[in-house]
Amino acid sequence: MATAIYLEHYLDSIENLPCELQRNFSLMRDLDNRTEEKKGEIDKLAEEYISSVRNLATEQRVVHLQKIQSAYCKCKEFSDDKVQLAMQTYEMVDKHIRRLDADLARFENELKEKLEVSGYDSPEGRGLKKGEGRGLREKRGPKGRGRKSSDEDSPRKKKLKNSPELSDALLPMQPSDVLDMPVDPNEPTYCLCHQVSYGEMIGCDNPDCPIEWFHFACVDLATKPKGKWFCPRCTQDKKKK
Amino acid sequence: MRRLRRRGCRPGVVGLEMGRGRGRGRGRDSSVQLRPPSPYRLQLSPSRETLTYAQAQKMVEVDLDGRLHRISITDPLPVITEDEMMAQDIVECNSNKENSEQTQSRARPGRKPPNPKGRRRESKTSSHQSRRSGSQQYTQSHTNSSQHPSHQSPLPEPTFRVLDCPCPLDTPPLPVAYYRFVEKSGEEQDCEAEYDMDEEDLAWLEMVNQKRVSDGHASVSPDTFELLIDRLERESILESRSQALSQSAIDEDAFCCVCLDDECLNSNVILFCDICNLAVHQECYGVPYIPEGQWLCRCCLQSPSRPVDCVLCPNRGGAFKQTSDGRWAHVVCAIWIPEVCFANMVFLEPVEGVKNIPSARWKLTCYLCKQKGRGASIQCHKANCYRAFHVSCAQKAGLFMKIDPVRETGVNGTTFSVKKTAFCENHSPVGSRRDGSGDEAVEGRLVGGRGNRGQRSYTQSPPAPPSKKTPKGQKKKKGKKSLAGQTTRRSAVPVLLVPQIPSHRLNKICIGVAVQRKNQFIQRLHNYWLLKRQSRNGMPLIRRLHSHLQAHKTAEQREPDEKLCAAREELRYWQKLRQDLERARLLVELVRKRERLKREQMKLQQAALELKLTPALILLRSTLDQLQEKDAAQIFSQPVNLAEVPDYLEFISKPMDLSSMRAKLEAHAYCSTTDLEGDFNLMVSNCLRYNSKETAFHRAALHLREVGGAVLRHAHRQAQSIGLDPSTGMHLPDSPNKHGFYQCTWEDVDSLLDPDNRLHLSTEEQLKALLEKLDMVASMRSSGGRTKRIRLLRREINTVTHKQQRSQSHNGKEEEEEEEENGKKDNVENSPLTSASTPGKDASPPTLESSCPASSPLPGDAPPEPPVLGLVTAGRRSPGRRSPGRSYKRQRSSPSGGKGQSDDDAEVEETATPCKQKEDSEKFSPSQTPSPPTNACPLIGVGRRTSVLFKKAKNGARLAKIRAAQLQYVGTTEGKTNGLDSSPTIIKPPSETALSTPAPPPTPSSPSSHCLRSRGPSSDSEGDKPLSLVKVEGFTNGLGKHKDDSSDIASNDQKHSVPPPPKRSRGKPALAKVPENQNGGSVQHPTSLCLCSGGSMLLPFDSDTELTPLDLVWAKCRGYPSYPAMVVDPDMPQEGLLHNGIPIPVPPGDVLKLGERRQKETGERHYLVLFFDTKRTWQWLPRDKLLQMGMDDTVDKLRLMEGKKPSVRKSVHTAYDRAMIHLNHVINHVKGNLTFNPSNFI
Repeated sequence: MATAIYLEHYLDSIENLPCELQRNFSLMRDLDNRTEEKKGEIDKLAEEYISSVRNLATEQRVVHLQKIQSAYCKCKEFSDDKVQLAMQTYEMVDKHIRRLDADLARFENELKEKLEVSGYDSPEGRGLKKGEGRGLREKRGPKGRGRKSSDEDSPRKKKLKNSPELSDALLPMQPSDVLDMPVDPNEPTYCLCHQVSYGEMIGCDNPDCPIEWFHFACVDLATKPKGKWFCPRCTQDKKKK
Repeated sequence: MRRLRRRGCRPGVVGLEMGRGRGRGRGRDSSVQLRPPSPYRLQLSPSRETLTYAQAQKMVEVDLDGRLHRISITDPLPVITEDEMMAQDIVECNSNKENSEQTQSRARPGRKPPNPKGRRRESKTSSHQSRRSGSQQYTQSHTNSSQHPSHQSPLPEPTFRVLDCPCPLDTPPLPVAYYRFVEKSGEEQDCEAEYDMDEEDLAWLEMVNQKRVSDGHASVSPDTFELLIDRLERESILESRSQALSQSAIDEDAFCCVCLDDECLNSNVILFCDICNLAVHQECYGVPYIPEGQWLCRCCLQSPSRPVDCVLCPNRGGAFKQTSDGRWAHVVCAIWIPEVCFANMVFLEPVEGVKNIPSARWKLTCYLCKQKGRGASIQCHKANCYRAFHVSCAQKAGLFMKIDPVRETGVNGTTFSVKKTAFCENHSPVGSRRDGSGDEAVEGRLVGGRGNRGQRSYTQSPPAPPSKKTPKGQKKKKGKKSLAGQTTRRSAVPVLLVPQIPSHRLNKICIGVAVQRKNQFIQRLHNYWLLKRQSRNGMPLIRRLHSHLQAHKTAEQREPDEKLCAAREELRYWQKLRQDLERARLLVELVRKRERLKREQMKLQQAALELKLTPALILLRSTLDQLQEKDAAQIFSQPVNLAEVPDYLEFISKPMDLSSMRAKLEAHAYCSTTDLEGDFNLMVSNCLRYNSKETAFHRAALHLREVGGAVLRHAHRQAQSIGLDPSTGMHLPDSPNKHGFYQCTWEDVDSLLDPDNRLHLSTEEQLKALLEKLDMVASMRSSGGRTKRIRLLRREINTVTHKQQRSQSHNGKEEEEEEEENGKKDNVENSPLTSASTPGKDASPPTLESSCPASSPLPGDAPPEPPVLGLVTAGRRSPGRRSPGRSYKRQRSSPSGGKGQSDDDAEVEETATPCKQKEDSEKFSPSQTPSPPTNACPLIGVGRRTSVLFKKAKNGARLAKIRAAQLQYVGTTEGKTNGLDSSPTIIKPPSETALSTPAPPPTPSSPSSHCLRSRGPSSDSEGDKPLSLVKVEGFTNGLGKHKDDSSDIASNDQKHSVPPPPKRSRGKPALAKVPENQNGGSVQHPTSLCLCSGGSMLLPFDSDTELTPLDLVWAKCRGYPSYPAMVVDPDMPQEGLLHNGIPIPVPPGDVLKLGERRQKETGERHYLVLFFDTKRTWQWLPRDKLLQMGMDDTVDKLRLMEGKKPSVRKSVHTAYDRAMIHLNHVINHVKGNLTFNPSNFI
C-alpha cells in the first residue's frame, strides 16, 4: 500500500502488539494456574481441617486456619496481579487504537484533499462516502476508548468522547455504516440499561461502581457535568451511608 | 495470438502476403493446397511490378543472398536432405556467383534488401521440411518464415550456404527472466496501422491505382491504404462502442436455448456464439471440447450471411444444425421429432431422417402458431389428445416437455433410450414445474420462467426467406451477452450493423494522409470498406479492436476509478485493522472484567470457607464487634494500663478487656457465646469493682452490661438457631429446628408478666425470662400491643431487678461490713458511702436524673485509662440515658454495697469514687484511715476541667501530705471567705454560696428524705461508725439546710458565712478535699476543713475577699458585661479532677503561662476564671473584676441586666443558667452524699 509514512510507522509499532498480548495473556494464564493450584491446596486444607478439627488443639486450629488464610492471601495477590495485567494490556491496546484513530483521521483528510484536487467527481463522492463509513466506525471505537482509558486506577474523570464526535460531525453519518462492525455477542454491557456502549458515555466516579459506564441518555445527561459525577446507584448508596 | 502474428508479417513480400491470404481463404482456393511446390525457375518478369496478379499468384519469391528467386508454384521441388544440401552447397559455391548476379539483376535490390537471417532460417526450416502437400499449412502457422519450401525445390545448386558462423542454438538458453513480452499499449497500437491488406484489398488497390495512374495521379501505396482502413475501422469501433455502451446490458441469466436451462457445470458449460451470441450447453449442441479462440455456432460458421430457417418449424433463432441435405434444422426439433435423428451422436450433426417424416406430420397444424404446412409438428403425448405443435413453438409457449430416462442420452441425442413426453397446454401435469437439469428440454408450465425463455430464444421467421446471422467471432463466457450481439443475430439486415462514419470524422481521418485527389479516393475507399464490412456481415476487419471492446468498456469505467479503488482498498485495510484492534480491546476488556470478577469470587470463596470452617468464630467476632461498638468511649477497648493504676491488680485478679477478648477469640479460646459472655461479664464486673460507683467508668460499665447483655442474648439465640457445635466451632450436621424464639405469642408474654406465674423462678431466672421476652417483643412489628407490652415488661424487669438488688444489697452489706471489719478500709469506707448514696438515688431516680444533666464537663477530655479514672461525662450521662430500670437496679444494688460478689464490689467502688469526692466528710474520715490517700489525689486535681479522678489507695504518705496541704489551703480560703464578712461585698459571696447551695437543694429535698430512709438501714449496719455519721451530719448541715431529718444545720445555712464555720468544724472532720471543689459547698468546705483539721486548720478569715477556686463569680472583662464564671485553681492537677463528681476543666498550659506573665507584670494576684460561655474560655482577672455570684439575688439580677444588647444579655443569661446548673449539680452531689452519709452511719 502506498501509504503515508506515519501509517507505515504505525504498522511497525503495532507489529509487537500480538506478541505482547500473547505474553500478557500467557502470564495471566500462568497466574491463573497458580491460583487454581492454590485453591486446590486450600480445598485440601479445608477438608483436612473439617475432618480433624475435633482432635485439634486450639493452637493447631489456629495454625491450620492460618495456613488457609495465607494461601488465600497468595491467591489474592495473584488475582490482583492478574487484574493489573489485564488493565495494563487494556491500556496498551487502547493506546494503539487511539494512535490509529489519530493517524487515520489524518490520513482521511489527506485523502479527501487529494481527491478534491484530482477533481474526479464520482471518486470524490465515493471517497467521501468511504470516509463517512470510516468515521462512523471509528466513532464506535473511540467511545470505547474514551471510557476505557479512564480505568479505575486513573482517577476517574468524566470521559467524554469528544474526539470522535468531532470527526463524526465532519462526516454526515450513514446509518447503515453503524452496523458495519459485526456485533460481538460477548460485548460487555454497561449502564442501567444493560446495553453495549454507544455514543457518549460517562464514567461513575466511584471506583467501586459495579457498572462503571453510563449512556448519557440513560442518566439524563445532555452534556458533560462539571466536577464529580456519581451514578444513581452509587448516589443512593452514598446517601444510605 | 493470431492477430499478433499477422501483424508481425505485414511488411512481408507481396508474394508472401498472397500466399498467406490464400492460406486463410483455404476453403475457397483448394488448388493452392493441392499445388505441388514448383522447381526452381526464373520467371520471366524481372520485377514485381511487371507481374500481374495472376502471375504473382503462381509465383513464389525467394530472396537468397540478395538475389531474388522466383519459383513457379507449379514447378516440382526436389526434396533435399541436409547432407545433400551441404554437398550441394559446396558444389554450388562455384556456380553461385552467376546465379546471384543473375537474380540480382532481376530483383530490385532497393525494394527487397537481402535478409540473411531470414534466409538462414528459411534454409533451416526448409531443410527439415518434407515437401508435402500439407506444407502449406506449415507456412500458415509460421507466417514469419513464409519464404519456405519454394527455395529448396529449386536447384541442384543451392544459392546459399549455411554458416560456419556460430549457431545461436549453441548458446545456452537464457534464463526466463530475460524474455519479456511487452504488450503494446493502446496508444502505441493506435499509432500504427494494424490492418493488413488481403488480396482483395490488393486487387482493389491495384485497380484503383491503375485508374489513378491512367488519370495521371500518383498511385496510392498499400501502406496508406492499410492506414486508412485501419482508421476507418477504429472509427467504426468507437462509434459502435458509444452506441453499445449505452445499451450494453449483461445477460446474467443466460440459458441454453436447447434445454432452456441455465445450469452451468464445468463439464457442461454454456457456450456463446461469438457472433450471434447464441447460448447453448456443450452437450446440447454437441461441442465436446471447447475450442481455443472463438467459437461460432454452426449457422454463423456456415451461413454467416444468410439467416437460416428450420425445416421442421417456422421459428427462427435458436440452435441450428445442418441436415444431411444441406438445410437447417433446430437441434430441439431434431431431438423431438421422432423420425429425425443425428448422424453423429457426439457432435449432434448432421440431422438425418427429415425425409422419413411422414407426410401426415407435415400436415399437422400447430395449435400455437396456427400455421399449417410449415414444418413438422408433434402431438400431445396424452392419449386421445391430438393437438399438434411445433417443438419450438411448444418451447416458446412453455409447454410441458420432458425427456425422461437418462439425461445424458437425451443430450447426446440417443433417442432410443429416451422417453420424451410433451403435453399440450391442457394436459400439462398439474403443478409440474420445471425440474429438469441442464441437458434436456424439460418444460413445466411456467408462467414467467421457461416460457419466457422460450419466447426469447425464438423469433417467428417471416414467411419470407430467412434473415441472416452475421459471422463474427469471439468467445464469451456466460454472462457476457451483449445486446449488440443479439441485435446482430435478430436483425434482418445485418448491414445496419456496419457503423456509419460521419463525414466530419472521415475528413478528420484524411488529414495527414498525403494523397492526390484525396476526397475522391477516400470516398471510394470508404465505400469499399463499407462493402467489405458488409460482405463480412459487419465483422470488424481488425479483430483486436473488437475483441477488446468489452475489455475497453470495463477498463474505461475502471480507469478513473483506479485511484479511488486504491484508496478504498487502503481504507478498507485500515478499517479492518481498526476493527481488529477494537475486537482486541473488547477482548481485553472482557478479560479485565473477568479477572475482577474472579478476584471478587475469590474473596467470596474465602469468606464462604471461613464461614464453613469457623462459623462460631465469625458469630463471636461479630458479637464482639457489636459489643465494641457499644463501648463508644472505648473504655474497655484496651487493657488497663497498669503503669497508671499500679494497684489495679490488687483488686482485680483477672483483668479483661475487649482487645484481649479479641485475641482470645482469634486464638479459638471461645467455643460458644457463653464463653464470650463470661469474659464480657468479667470485664464489666472488673470495672464495676474497681471504679467507685459515681465514676463515669462505673456507669459506662453498667451501661455496657445492659447493652452488651442484649447483644449477647441475641448472639446466643443466633448460635442456637444456627446450630453450632461448641467443640469444633462448626455447624452441626443437622440444623436445629428453628421454632423459635420469635414465635411466642402475646399470651406467653402476658403470662410471664404476671408475677404469680413466675413465682417458682428465682429472680435471676425471672429477669432472664423477662429480658428475653423483651427482646422478642421489641423485635416484633410495632403495634399498640407491642409498645404496651414492652412497657410492661420493662416495668416488670425493673421490679425484678429491684428485688434482686435488694436481696443482693442485704447480702452485700453484711459482707461489706465483714470486710470492713476485716480491715479492708477502702472497701469498707467506700461501700458504706455508696450504699448510702445509692439508696438515695434509688428512692428518687427522677431527681437523680434531673441532677445529672446539670454539669458541663466535656467528654473529650476523658483520661486515657478509662477504667481507672472516672469519666465524668460518661458517668453523668449514663444515668440519664439509662433506662430507669437500669439505674434503678444499679442504685439498688449499690446500697447493698458489699454483696461480696465481684459485681457488687465493682459497683461499690465505682460509686464510691464519686461519693468520696462529693462527700468530704466521708472521704475525710478515710483520711485518717488508708482511704484518704485516694482522696488526696482528687484534691490536688480539683478544678480540673474534664474529669475527675479518683484513684484508690495510693501510697498513704504522699497523699497525706498533699491532703494536708490541700486542707490547709482550703482552710485558708475558707478563712478568707469567712473573714469576708467585714467587707460586705466580699462577704456576700460566701454567704451567697452558702445560700445558693441550699437554694439548689430544693430538688435534693426529696433525696434527703430518701437519705433518711436509706439511712435507716445503713445506720443499722453501721452503727459502729459514729464518726462518719457525725461528719455527714455536719456536712449536711453545711450544705443542705433543708435536710431536716439529718440536722438542724439547715437553719444555719440560711445565715451568711458566719454560721457555717461552726458547722463545718463540726461536720467536716472527715472531709478533706471537697471544700475546694464546691463553691456551692464552699460553706461546707470550710466546715469540713475545720472539722477535719481540727483546730489546726483554722487559719484564714483574713482574706475574705479571696475567692476560692470553684467559686462562681461574675467576672468583668473589658468590653463585656459581667459574665458568670468559675474560679479555677491554676495549680489543679493536670489529670483534672472531679468536683463532686462534676469534672472541672483543666486549664491549658498556655493559659497558665499567660497567667504567670500577667501576674508578674501587674504584680497583682490574678484569678484564673473559666467562663460559662459555650466555649468555656479562660481568663485571668484581678480580684476587683470578680464578684461572687449567688450572694444576692438582686445583684445577680443586676448583673444579668448589665448587657446592653439583647443578644449579650441572652448569652449572659444562658451562661448564668449554666452556672446555676453546675451549682445545682455540685450541690446535688453533695447533698446526695450528705444524705447518704447518715445512712451509713446510722
